[in-house]
Amino acid sequence: MRVVVLSFVVGLGLVACTNSSIPEPTQAVCPDPDPGTLTWDSFGQKFMADYCTACHDSSLSHAQRNGAPLYHDYDTLMGVLEIPDHIDQYAGAGPASENTEMPPSQCPSVMGGPLNRACPKPSTAERTDLAVWIACEVKRPH
Amino acid sequence: MALPIVATLTGLCAPSGSARAEHDMAAMSANHQHDGSEISAGVAVEAAQFDTMSYVGSYQGVAPSIGWMRGRFGAGATLGLYHLTKNGLSLYGVGDMMFTGHAMVFATETVQTGLALHMMAPTGSELDGLGMGHVMAMPSAWATWRADRLSVRASAGYSWALTGTGGAQHNHGPSPLVDPMNMQEVTWSAGGDLDVVHGIRAGVRAEGGIPTGVGSERVIGAGRIAWGTSRLSTAFELQLGLAGDPFTIRGVIETALRF
Repeated sequence: MRVVVLSFVVGLGLVACTNSSIPEPTQAVCPDPDPGTLTWDSFGQKFMADYCTACHDSSLSHAQRNGAPLYHDYDTLMGVLEIPDHIDQYAGAGPASENTEMPPSQCPSVMGGPLNRACPKPSTAERTDLAVWIACEVKRPH
Repeated sequence: MALPIVATLTGLCAPSGSARAEHDMAAMSANHQHDGSEISAGVAVEAAQFDTMSYVGSYQGVAPSIGWMRGRFGAGATLGLYHLTKNGLSLYGVGDMMFTGHAMVFATETVQTGLALHMMAPTGSELDGLGMGHVMAMPSAWATWRADRLSVRASAGYSWALTGTGGAQHNHGPSPLVDPMNMQEVTWSAGGDLDVVHGIRAGVRAEGGIPTGVGSERVIGAGRIAWGTSRLSTAFELQLGLAGDPFTIRGVIETALRF
Protein backbone atom coordinates (compact mmCIF):
# COMPACT_ATOMS: atom_id res chain seq x y z
CA MET A 1 0.00 0.00 0.00
CA ARG A 2 2.99 2.27 0.54
CA VAL A 3 3.62 2.11 -3.18
CA VAL A 4 0.11 3.34 -3.93
CA VAL A 5 0.49 6.24 -1.51
CA LEU A 6 3.92 7.07 -2.91
CA SER A 7 2.57 7.17 -6.46
CA PHE A 8 -0.16 9.51 -5.35
CA VAL A 9 2.24 11.87 -3.60
CA VAL A 10 4.72 11.92 -6.48
CA GLY A 11 1.92 12.61 -8.92
CA LEU A 12 0.71 15.56 -6.93
CA GLY A 13 4.22 16.82 -6.43
CA LEU A 14 4.88 17.01 -10.14
CA VAL A 15 2.10 19.55 -10.48
CA ALA A 16 4.31 22.15 -8.89
CA CYS A 17 6.56 22.30 -11.95
CA THR A 18 3.97 22.00 -14.69
CA ASN A 19 0.99 23.80 -16.14
CA SER A 20 2.20 27.31 -15.51
CA SER A 21 -0.27 28.97 -17.86
CA ILE A 22 -3.93 28.48 -17.05
CA PRO A 23 -6.69 30.25 -18.98
CA GLU A 24 -9.00 32.00 -16.54
CA PRO A 25 -12.07 34.21 -16.84
CA THR A 26 -11.16 37.89 -16.67
CA GLN A 27 -14.36 38.70 -14.78
CA ALA A 28 -14.65 41.90 -16.80
CA VAL A 29 -18.02 43.62 -16.45
CA CYS A 30 -19.95 45.80 -18.83
CA PRO A 31 -20.65 49.27 -17.37
CA ASP A 32 -24.25 49.86 -16.39
CA PRO A 33 -25.75 51.39 -18.39
CA ASP A 34 -23.93 49.99 -21.42
CA PRO A 35 -22.21 53.02 -23.01
CA GLY A 36 -22.25 51.33 -26.41
CA THR A 37 -18.77 52.56 -27.26
CA LEU A 38 -17.31 49.09 -27.84
CA THR A 39 -19.23 47.30 -30.59
CA TRP A 40 -18.54 44.80 -33.35
CA ASP A 41 -18.28 47.62 -35.86
CA SER A 42 -16.18 49.97 -33.73
CA PHE A 43 -13.88 47.42 -32.11
CA GLY A 44 -14.56 43.70 -32.41
CA GLN A 45 -14.32 43.24 -36.16
CA LYS A 46 -10.98 45.04 -36.42
CA PHE A 47 -9.57 43.24 -33.38
CA MET A 48 -10.46 39.88 -34.83
CA ALA A 49 -9.10 40.79 -38.26
CA ASP A 50 -5.83 42.06 -36.78
CA TYR A 51 -5.16 39.17 -34.44
CA CYS A 52 -7.41 36.16 -35.04
CA THR A 53 -8.96 35.49 -38.44
CA ALA A 54 -5.74 34.46 -40.18
CA CYS A 55 -6.58 31.07 -38.62
CA HIS A 56 -10.05 31.49 -37.04
CA ASP A 57 -12.09 32.13 -40.17
CA SER A 58 -15.10 30.15 -41.31
CA SER A 59 -13.82 30.04 -44.89
CA LEU A 60 -10.70 28.05 -43.93
CA SER A 61 -10.53 24.29 -44.42
CA HIS A 62 -9.02 21.90 -41.86
CA ALA A 63 -5.51 22.02 -43.28
CA GLN A 64 -5.52 25.82 -43.59
CA ARG A 65 -6.39 26.52 -39.96
CA ASN A 66 -2.90 26.03 -38.46
CA GLY A 67 -4.38 24.18 -35.52
CA ALA A 68 -7.40 26.39 -34.87
CA PRO A 69 -10.36 24.22 -33.84
CA LEU A 70 -13.32 23.91 -36.15
CA TYR A 71 -16.24 26.20 -35.24
CA HIS A 72 -13.93 28.64 -33.49
CA ASP A 73 -14.50 31.26 -36.18
CA TYR A 74 -14.41 34.96 -35.45
CA ASP A 75 -15.06 36.52 -38.84
CA THR A 76 -18.64 37.27 -37.81
CA LEU A 77 -20.22 38.58 -34.64
CA MET A 78 -22.33 35.45 -34.41
CA GLY A 79 -19.17 33.36 -34.54
CA VAL A 80 -17.70 35.28 -31.63
CA LEU A 81 -20.91 34.92 -29.65
CA GLU A 82 -20.76 31.13 -30.04
CA ILE A 83 -17.84 30.96 -27.57
CA PRO A 84 -17.43 34.35 -25.83
CA ASP A 85 -16.13 32.80 -22.60
CA HIS A 86 -13.43 30.93 -24.48
CA ILE A 87 -12.21 34.12 -26.16
CA ASP A 88 -12.20 35.93 -22.83
CA GLN A 89 -10.17 33.15 -21.21
CA TYR A 90 -7.56 32.99 -23.94
CA ALA A 91 -7.10 36.61 -25.03
CA GLY A 92 -8.90 38.98 -22.64
CA ALA A 93 -7.62 41.08 -19.76
CA GLY A 94 -9.59 42.15 -16.74
CA PRO A 95 -9.71 42.38 -12.96
CA ALA A 96 -9.12 38.66 -12.41
CA SER A 97 -6.56 37.80 -15.08
CA GLU A 98 -4.64 38.89 -18.16
CA ASN A 99 -4.81 36.02 -20.60
CA THR A 100 -2.14 35.94 -23.30
CA GLU A 101 -2.41 32.39 -24.60
CA MET A 102 -3.70 33.81 -27.88
CA PRO A 103 -2.47 34.87 -30.35
CA PRO A 104 0.30 32.23 -30.37
CA SER A 105 3.94 32.91 -31.20
CA GLN A 106 3.76 32.13 -34.94
CA CYS A 107 1.13 33.26 -37.46
CA PRO A 108 0.61 33.09 -41.23
CA SER A 109 1.28 36.24 -43.22
CA VAL A 110 -1.76 35.46 -45.37
CA MET A 111 -5.02 33.89 -44.24
CA GLY A 112 -4.68 30.13 -44.23
CA GLY A 113 -1.02 30.24 -45.23
CA PRO A 114 2.01 28.71 -43.51
CA LEU A 115 3.28 29.96 -40.16
CA ASN A 116 5.99 32.32 -41.35
CA ARG A 117 6.01 35.34 -39.09
CA ALA A 118 5.74 36.36 -35.47
CA CYS A 119 2.16 37.03 -34.49
CA PRO A 120 1.18 40.62 -33.84
CA LYS A 121 0.15 40.92 -30.22
CA PRO A 122 -2.65 43.04 -28.78
CA SER A 123 -1.70 45.56 -26.13
CA THR A 124 -2.99 45.19 -22.60
CA ALA A 125 -5.42 48.01 -23.32
CA GLU A 126 -6.75 46.16 -26.35
CA ARG A 127 -7.12 42.96 -24.35
CA THR A 128 -8.99 44.90 -21.67
CA ASP A 129 -11.30 46.38 -24.29
CA LEU A 130 -11.83 42.89 -25.72
CA ALA A 131 -13.00 41.54 -22.38
CA VAL A 132 -15.28 44.51 -21.72
CA TRP A 133 -16.69 44.38 -25.25
CA ILE A 134 -17.50 40.70 -24.88
CA ALA A 135 -19.10 41.34 -21.48
CA CYS A 136 -21.31 43.99 -23.10
CA GLU A 137 -21.98 42.17 -26.36
CA VAL A 138 -23.36 39.04 -24.73
CA LYS A 139 -26.01 41.15 -23.01
CA ARG A 140 -27.15 42.97 -26.12
CA PRO A 141 -30.06 41.77 -28.23
CA HIS A 142 -29.03 40.07 -31.48
CA MET B 1 6.62 -18.67 -18.35
CA ALA B 2 6.53 -16.78 -21.60
CA LEU B 3 2.81 -16.22 -21.59
CA PRO B 4 2.63 -14.48 -18.23
CA ILE B 5 5.52 -12.30 -19.27
CA VAL B 6 3.70 -11.30 -22.42
CA ALA B 7 0.67 -10.33 -20.40
CA THR B 8 2.83 -8.31 -18.04
CA LEU B 9 4.34 -6.49 -20.95
CA THR B 10 1.15 -4.75 -21.87
CA GLY B 11 0.93 -3.24 -18.43
CA LEU B 12 4.37 -1.78 -18.37
CA CYS B 13 4.13 -0.08 -21.70
CA ALA B 14 0.67 1.35 -21.43
CA PRO B 15 0.12 4.64 -23.22
CA SER B 16 -2.11 7.12 -21.47
CA GLY B 17 -5.63 6.06 -20.66
CA SER B 18 -7.26 5.06 -17.44
CA ALA B 19 -9.33 2.14 -18.61
CA ARG B 20 -6.38 0.84 -20.53
CA ALA B 21 -4.27 1.08 -17.42
CA GLU B 22 -6.86 -0.69 -15.30
CA HIS B 23 -6.82 -3.54 -17.73
CA ASP B 24 -3.06 -3.60 -17.64
CA MET B 25 -2.80 -3.60 -13.87
CA ALA B 26 -4.96 -6.69 -13.86
CA ALA B 27 -2.56 -8.38 -16.23
CA MET B 28 0.52 -7.30 -14.31
CA SER B 29 -0.64 -8.43 -10.89
CA ALA B 30 -2.21 -11.62 -12.15
CA ASN B 31 1.05 -12.79 -13.65
CA HIS B 32 3.45 -11.86 -10.92
CA GLN B 33 3.59 -15.16 -9.12
CA HIS B 34 6.39 -14.81 -6.58
CA ASP B 35 7.50 -12.53 -3.75
CA GLY B 36 10.75 -11.30 -5.25
CA SER B 37 11.23 -7.85 -6.74
CA GLU B 38 11.09 -7.30 -10.47
CA ILE B 39 12.09 -4.29 -12.48
CA SER B 40 10.82 -3.78 -15.99
CA ALA B 41 11.64 -1.29 -18.71
CA GLY B 42 9.62 -0.90 -21.84
CA VAL B 43 8.65 1.29 -24.72
CA ALA B 44 5.43 1.69 -26.66
CA VAL B 45 5.19 3.19 -30.13
CA GLU B 46 1.79 4.29 -31.35
CA ALA B 47 0.23 5.98 -34.35
CA ALA B 48 -3.34 7.18 -34.71
CA GLN B 49 -5.72 9.09 -36.91
CA PHE B 50 -8.56 11.15 -35.52
CA ASP B 51 -11.54 13.08 -36.81
CA THR B 52 -13.29 14.85 -33.95
CA MET B 53 -15.81 17.65 -33.83
CA SER B 54 -12.98 20.19 -33.59
CA TYR B 55 -9.93 18.58 -35.16
CA VAL B 56 -8.83 16.35 -38.00
CA GLY B 57 -5.34 14.95 -37.95
CA SER B 58 -2.98 12.29 -36.71
CA TYR B 59 -0.33 11.67 -34.11
CA GLN B 60 2.64 9.44 -33.49
CA GLY B 61 4.13 8.79 -30.11
CA VAL B 62 6.77 6.90 -28.21
CA ALA B 63 6.24 6.18 -24.52
CA PRO B 64 9.08 4.78 -22.41
CA SER B 65 8.05 3.25 -19.11
CA ILE B 66 9.45 1.65 -16.00
CA GLY B 67 7.78 -0.73 -13.60
CA TRP B 68 8.43 -2.43 -10.30
CA MET B 69 6.64 -5.27 -8.55
CA ARG B 70 7.14 -7.04 -5.26
CA GLY B 71 4.70 -9.56 -3.89
CA ARG B 72 1.19 -8.14 -4.12
CA PHE B 73 2.33 -4.61 -4.83
CA GLY B 74 3.56 -2.80 -7.86
CA ALA B 75 4.24 0.65 -9.25
CA GLY B 76 5.08 2.19 -12.57
CA ALA B 77 5.52 5.39 -14.50
CA THR B 78 5.25 6.29 -18.16
CA LEU B 79 5.65 9.45 -20.20
CA GLY B 80 4.86 9.81 -23.90
CA LEU B 81 6.58 12.00 -26.47
CA TYR B 82 4.37 12.95 -29.38
CA HIS B 83 4.21 14.44 -32.83
CA LEU B 84 0.72 15.82 -33.26
CA THR B 85 -0.80 17.14 -36.46
CA LYS B 86 -4.20 18.78 -36.10
CA ASN B 87 -6.00 21.01 -38.54
CA GLY B 88 -2.79 21.61 -40.44
CA LEU B 89 -0.59 22.42 -37.44
CA SER B 90 2.37 20.16 -36.72
CA LEU B 91 3.88 20.20 -33.23
CA TYR B 92 6.00 18.09 -30.92
CA GLY B 93 5.87 17.72 -27.17
CA VAL B 94 5.49 15.51 -24.13
CA GLY B 95 2.14 14.21 -23.00
CA ASP B 96 0.86 13.85 -19.47
CA MET B 97 2.90 11.64 -17.17
CA MET B 98 1.16 8.75 -15.49
CA PHE B 99 2.11 7.16 -12.18
CA THR B 100 0.55 3.93 -11.08
CA GLY B 101 0.37 1.99 -7.85
CA HIS B 102 -1.52 -1.28 -7.60
CA ALA B 103 -2.10 -4.14 -5.19
CA MET B 104 -3.63 -7.58 -5.44
CA VAL B 105 -6.19 -8.10 -2.68
CA PHE B 106 -7.50 -11.60 -3.42
CA ALA B 107 -6.04 -14.50 -5.37
CA THR B 108 -6.85 -18.14 -6.06
CA GLU B 109 -5.78 -20.48 -8.84
CA THR B 110 -8.41 -19.10 -11.18
CA VAL B 111 -9.60 -15.77 -9.78
CA GLN B 112 -7.64 -12.69 -8.84
CA THR B 113 -8.82 -9.23 -7.85
CA GLY B 114 -7.02 -6.04 -7.05
CA LEU B 115 -7.02 -2.29 -6.66
CA ALA B 116 -5.10 0.34 -8.57
CA LEU B 117 -4.53 4.05 -8.34
CA HIS B 118 -3.39 5.99 -11.36
CA MET B 119 -2.32 9.60 -11.09
CA MET B 120 -1.85 11.64 -14.22
CA ALA B 121 0.30 14.76 -13.91
CA PRO B 122 -0.20 17.64 -16.37
CA THR B 123 3.21 17.60 -18.04
CA GLY B 124 1.62 17.98 -21.48
CA SER B 125 0.48 21.33 -22.84
CA GLU B 126 -3.27 21.70 -22.60
CA LEU B 127 -3.23 24.56 -25.11
CA ASP B 128 -1.48 22.37 -27.69
CA GLY B 129 -3.79 19.44 -27.00
CA LEU B 130 -1.01 17.32 -25.54
CA GLY B 131 -2.35 17.20 -22.00
CA MET B 132 -5.27 17.73 -19.68
CA GLY B 133 -3.98 20.78 -17.87
CA HIS B 134 -4.78 19.34 -14.47
CA VAL B 135 -4.04 16.36 -12.23
CA MET B 136 -6.30 13.38 -12.76
CA ALA B 137 -6.90 10.74 -10.10
CA MET B 138 -8.10 7.35 -11.30
CA PRO B 139 -8.74 4.70 -8.66
CA SER B 140 -10.10 1.41 -9.93
CA ALA B 141 -10.79 -2.22 -9.11
CA TRP B 142 -10.11 -5.18 -11.38
CA ALA B 143 -10.71 -8.90 -11.53
CA THR B 144 -9.45 -11.74 -13.70
CA TRP B 145 -10.61 -15.27 -14.26
CA ARG B 146 -8.45 -17.87 -15.93
CA ALA B 147 -9.26 -21.40 -17.05
CA ASP B 148 -6.96 -23.47 -19.19
CA ARG B 149 -6.06 -21.37 -22.26
CA LEU B 150 -8.63 -18.66 -21.71
CA SER B 151 -8.42 -15.63 -19.44
CA VAL B 152 -11.08 -12.99 -18.95
CA ARG B 153 -10.68 -9.70 -17.15
CA ALA B 154 -12.73 -6.67 -16.29
CA SER B 155 -12.24 -3.45 -14.41
CA ALA B 156 -14.23 -0.47 -13.21
CA GLY B 157 -13.09 2.82 -11.82
CA TYR B 158 -13.81 6.46 -11.34
CA SER B 159 -11.70 9.29 -12.68
CA TRP B 160 -11.87 12.86 -11.60
CA ALA B 161 -9.91 16.04 -12.23
CA LEU B 162 -8.19 17.55 -9.21
CA THR B 163 -8.62 21.12 -10.42
CA GLY B 164 -8.08 22.42 -6.88
CA THR B 165 -4.42 21.43 -7.16
CA GLY B 166 -3.76 24.21 -9.64
CA GLY B 167 -5.00 22.85 -12.94
CA ALA B 168 -7.44 24.19 -15.43
CA GLN B 169 -10.90 24.93 -14.12
CA HIS B 170 -12.80 24.18 -17.28
CA ASN B 171 -13.78 21.11 -19.19
CA HIS B 172 -11.06 20.49 -21.78
CA GLY B 173 -13.44 18.66 -24.09
CA PRO B 174 -12.56 15.94 -26.54
CA SER B 175 -8.96 15.77 -27.63
CA PRO B 176 -7.34 12.78 -29.30
CA LEU B 177 -4.40 12.63 -26.91
CA VAL B 178 -6.33 13.34 -23.72
CA ASP B 179 -7.70 10.28 -22.02
CA PRO B 180 -9.79 10.41 -19.86
CA MET B 181 -11.53 13.13 -21.79
CA ASN B 182 -14.07 14.09 -19.15
CA MET B 183 -13.50 15.90 -15.89
CA GLN B 184 -15.37 13.20 -13.98
CA GLU B 185 -16.25 9.86 -15.41
CA VAL B 186 -16.84 6.21 -14.66
CA THR B 187 -14.34 4.06 -16.51
CA TRP B 188 -14.72 0.45 -17.50
CA SER B 189 -12.94 -2.23 -19.44
CA ALA B 190 -13.53 -5.86 -20.32
CA GLY B 191 -11.64 -8.34 -22.42
CA GLY B 192 -10.28 -11.80 -22.93
CA ASP B 193 -7.16 -13.54 -24.16
CA LEU B 194 -6.54 -16.97 -25.59
CA ASP B 195 -3.29 -18.92 -25.68
CA VAL B 196 -3.06 -19.61 -29.40
CA VAL B 197 0.19 -21.56 -29.47
CA HIS B 198 3.15 -21.67 -27.15
CA GLY B 199 4.32 -18.11 -26.50
CA ILE B 200 1.58 -16.43 -28.49
CA ARG B 201 -1.68 -14.98 -27.18
CA ALA B 202 -4.49 -13.26 -29.01
CA GLY B 203 -7.23 -11.25 -27.44
CA VAL B 204 -9.94 -8.65 -27.76
CA ARG B 205 -11.10 -6.01 -25.36
CA ALA B 206 -13.26 -2.94 -25.03
CA GLU B 207 -12.96 0.05 -22.77
CA GLY B 208 -14.85 3.23 -22.21
CA GLY B 209 -15.76 6.22 -20.14
CA ILE B 210 -19.16 7.47 -19.01
CA PRO B 211 -19.21 11.11 -17.89
CA THR B 212 -20.88 11.85 -14.58
CA GLY B 213 -21.23 15.54 -15.42
CA VAL B 214 -20.67 17.50 -18.59
CA GLY B 215 -18.89 15.47 -21.23
CA SER B 216 -19.16 12.77 -23.80
CA GLU B 217 -19.24 8.99 -23.58
CA ARG B 218 -16.58 7.05 -25.43
CA VAL B 219 -16.00 3.42 -26.35
CA ILE B 220 -12.88 1.84 -27.77
CA GLY B 221 -12.59 -1.67 -29.17
CA ALA B 222 -9.29 -3.46 -29.70
CA GLY B 223 -7.71 -6.66 -30.94
CA ARG B 224 -4.29 -7.73 -29.75
CA ILE B 225 -1.61 -10.29 -30.39
CA ALA B 226 1.34 -10.76 -28.07
CA TRP B 227 4.43 -12.91 -28.19
CA GLY B 228 7.73 -13.19 -26.41
CA THR B 229 10.23 -14.97 -24.23
CA SER B 230 10.78 -14.94 -20.49
CA ARG B 231 12.83 -11.74 -20.70
CA LEU B 232 11.77 -9.87 -23.79
CA SER B 233 8.15 -9.53 -24.89
CA THR B 234 6.27 -7.71 -27.60
CA ALA B 235 2.63 -7.02 -28.33
CA PHE B 236 0.69 -5.31 -31.10
CA GLU B 237 -2.77 -3.90 -30.63
CA LEU B 238 -5.10 -2.35 -33.18
CA GLN B 239 -7.73 -0.08 -31.64
CA LEU B 240 -10.88 1.44 -33.10
CA GLY B 241 -12.73 4.42 -31.73
CA LEU B 242 -16.32 3.18 -31.63
CA ALA B 243 -17.96 6.17 -29.95
CA GLY B 244 -17.03 9.55 -28.53
CA ASP B 245 -14.39 10.57 -31.07
CA PRO B 246 -11.25 9.45 -29.22
CA PHE B 247 -9.69 8.50 -32.55
CA THR B 248 -10.74 6.61 -35.65
CA ILE B 249 -7.93 4.04 -35.59
CA ARG B 250 -4.81 3.56 -33.52
CA GLY B 251 -2.01 1.03 -33.65
CA VAL B 252 0.28 0.37 -30.68
CA ILE B 253 3.33 -1.86 -30.58
CA GLU B 254 4.95 -2.44 -27.21
CA THR B 255 8.14 -4.11 -26.10
CA ALA B 256 9.34 -4.72 -22.56
CA LEU B 257 12.40 -6.17 -20.90
CA ARG B 258 12.04 -7.67 -17.45
CA PHE B 259 14.91 -8.03 -14.98
